Amino acid sequence: MNTKKLQGFVTENAIYIVLAVLLIGIAVYEPSFIGLNTLRDILIQSSTRVIIALGVAFILITGGTDLSAGRMVGLTAVVSASMLQEADYARRFFPNLPELPLFVPVLIAIAVGLVFGLINGVIVSKFKVPPFIATLGTMVAIYGINSLYFDTEPNQSQPIGGLRGDFTTLGSGALFKNWEFSIPYIVIIAIVVCAIVWVMFNKTRLGKNMYAIGGNQQAAKVSGINVSKNLILIYSIAGALYGLAGVLEAARTGGATNNYGNMYELDAIAACVVGGVSTTGGIGTVPGIMAGVLIFTVINYGLTFVGVGPYWQQIIKGAIIVAAVAFDMRKYASKK
Amino acid sequence: MKKLTTVMLAAAMLGATMVGCSNGGDKESSGGNAGSTPSVGVAIYKFDDTFMTGVRNSIEKNASGIAKVDIVDSQNSQPTQNDKIDLFITKKTNALIVNPVDRTAAGVIIDKAQAKDTPVVFLNREPLPEDMKKWDKVYYVGAKAEESGTLSGQIVVDYWKAHPEADKNGDGVLQYVMLKGEPGHQDAELRTQYSIQAIEDAGIKVEKVAEDTAMWDRVKGQEKMAAFLAANGDKIEAVLANNDDMALGAIEALKAAGYFTGDKYMPVVGVDATAPALQALEQGTMLGTVLNDAENQGKAAVTLASLLAKGEAISKDSVGFDITDNQYVWIPYQKVTKENAADFK
Repeated sequence: MNTKKLQGFVTENAIYIVLAVLLIGIAVYEPSFIGLNTLRDILIQSSTRVIIALGVAFILITGGTDLSAGRMVGLTAVVSASMLQEADYARRFFPNLPELPLFVPVLIAIAVGLVFGLINGVIVSKFKVPPFIATLGTMVAIYGINSLYFDTEPNQSQPIGGLRGDFTTLGSGALFKNWEFSIPYIVIIAIVVCAIVWVMFNKTRLGKNMYAIGGNQQAAKVSGINVSKNLILIYSIAGALYGLAGVLEAARTGGATNNYGNMYELDAIAACVVGGVSTTGGIGTVPGIMAGVLIFTVINYGLTFVGVGPYWQQIIKGAIIVAAVAFDMRKYASKK
Repeated sequence: MKKLTTVMLAAAMLGATMVGCSNGGDKESSGGNAGSTPSVGVAIYKFDDTFMTGVRNSIEKNASGIAKVDIVDSQNSQPTQNDKIDLFITKKTNALIVNPVDRTAAGVIIDKAQAKDTPVVFLNREPLPEDMKKWDKVYYVGAKAEESGTLSGQIVVDYWKAHPEADKNGDGVLQYVMLKGEPGHQDAELRTQYSIQAIEDAGIKVEKVAEDTAMWDRVKGQEKMAAFLAANGDKIEAVLANNDDMALGAIEALKAAGYFTGDKYMPVVGVDATAPALQALEQGTMLGTVLNDAENQGKAAVTLASLLAKGEAISKDSVGFDITDNQYVWIPYQKVTKENAADFK
């Protein structure tokens, strides 16, 4: 009886256990890993990733997928950076643009993400193109649009630099900056986004519809859910989240190029899957996704910290993705 | 209920990393600066870049005895590089060597480093001058891109002056084709401009027969050269390529058109002195190339970083390289032709 209980606990909480084992393993190997600064680094590095992963999760839970996430991050990073350069910077994207209030370009970038998400949603729900193909198409096209924008006179494909201090503070500043327990703004933003998405998943009709559509689209339709309207809304929300993540990536690095966000969608999908989101739809929780993202950051950060070579890190990451899903499959198989 | 326990568990695990912070925080990380070898964090823009791999190997080799280096891959992504730099700073690494993915991102990196008093040596991609001026513990090691153009132009000049028959149509004008790298890429633009300027500066008139981008790529270099030959045939008297891969591609196209057999010859120059290019030099198919000196770039960077980490004085004597404007170490390019190709193997 007791062993069965334990077994159940282990299967139910596999991802959290993996995360714990990773952290403990690294800490034992390299005790200087334990500390506020490393914790802060891990949370900072997880912030934009979790926002992107939550966007992707919305779509995965409906039974779809989104390959355009990374390129949308790149586009919105460039869009926000292009409008937030210092007035006296020599190579401004818009030489005569007046200094806009910070929220204006940020909202424009989020709106750009939302519009492209909406386009994804319309293609998927109205034209019945499978999400994999639809977002593959928009992924390629969005990179083209971004490169075109990035190449306009007078910028001509030069990296966008000289970003305003108030903008970079958003990405690298912190609350109680000089205190030991300072909290980076970017982490606060990510936590707020996680909370909002948690409410959307669990307390709103949209959330219930999302799980229903992913569980069984036909059944959802028959029970009176307007599937296309919900899908369009969900893809738009995901797009807006990518938009926010793009803004934060530009702010965090103090620059942007059209190559930003390349392949982020795969990291996000991997984090979701490891965090227990089912690729066949209908299943996924916000804490699970957060843990999935943390696992990958801990791998990235922790293994570099202890000096594991980059090629080995890739092998370990790949193994964890496959192992996590294999484990997950067992969990559902045993339930049936 | 179950959900709650899982979240609690995750929180507890993360909390566990915080608990030890008081004792973790006080300890100096290994390799402190008390006379022992300092730790140097090295962030390369991407590991699968051929040239930077050469620099990376040189850093590793030259670090022995002067620094404990930890080299990481930024995977051609500036956000990833920033993450790695945060990690180095958190680990209290004594100095940084950064090969930026995006040169405009240097400003943010300098701010991070300065806040923790960690000196930075930028490598191979030059930060903007206004960023360099932010702090005096910031250095740059690299080559002047225009010099690679100038030297490749000079190789063509030397050949032209020594071989009167190179002027195939006898009009006293050098008809050339140019294979450019990625459009807008700083190296591509500078090499193109300065190679031709070097030829003109030597008093030789030039005429551009054709110019196109082959995106640094060997296959594209071959395709473009084949097209140039089809369109212009024997009118072409020299081929200038922004890098060796494109030059080697052009050589393949020339071979297919019957060049390099009998007395049918075409001077082809590249840049980089890659291993296949050195082989082509020895075979006599490539006229010359220009070496971006990976060995000395790596050596200068790691020597500088080690000295900065130890807080020692930076001068020509201590570093072994000239310091320009207090912050720059310029590593010269070198001409490579058949005569000295063996020295670079």
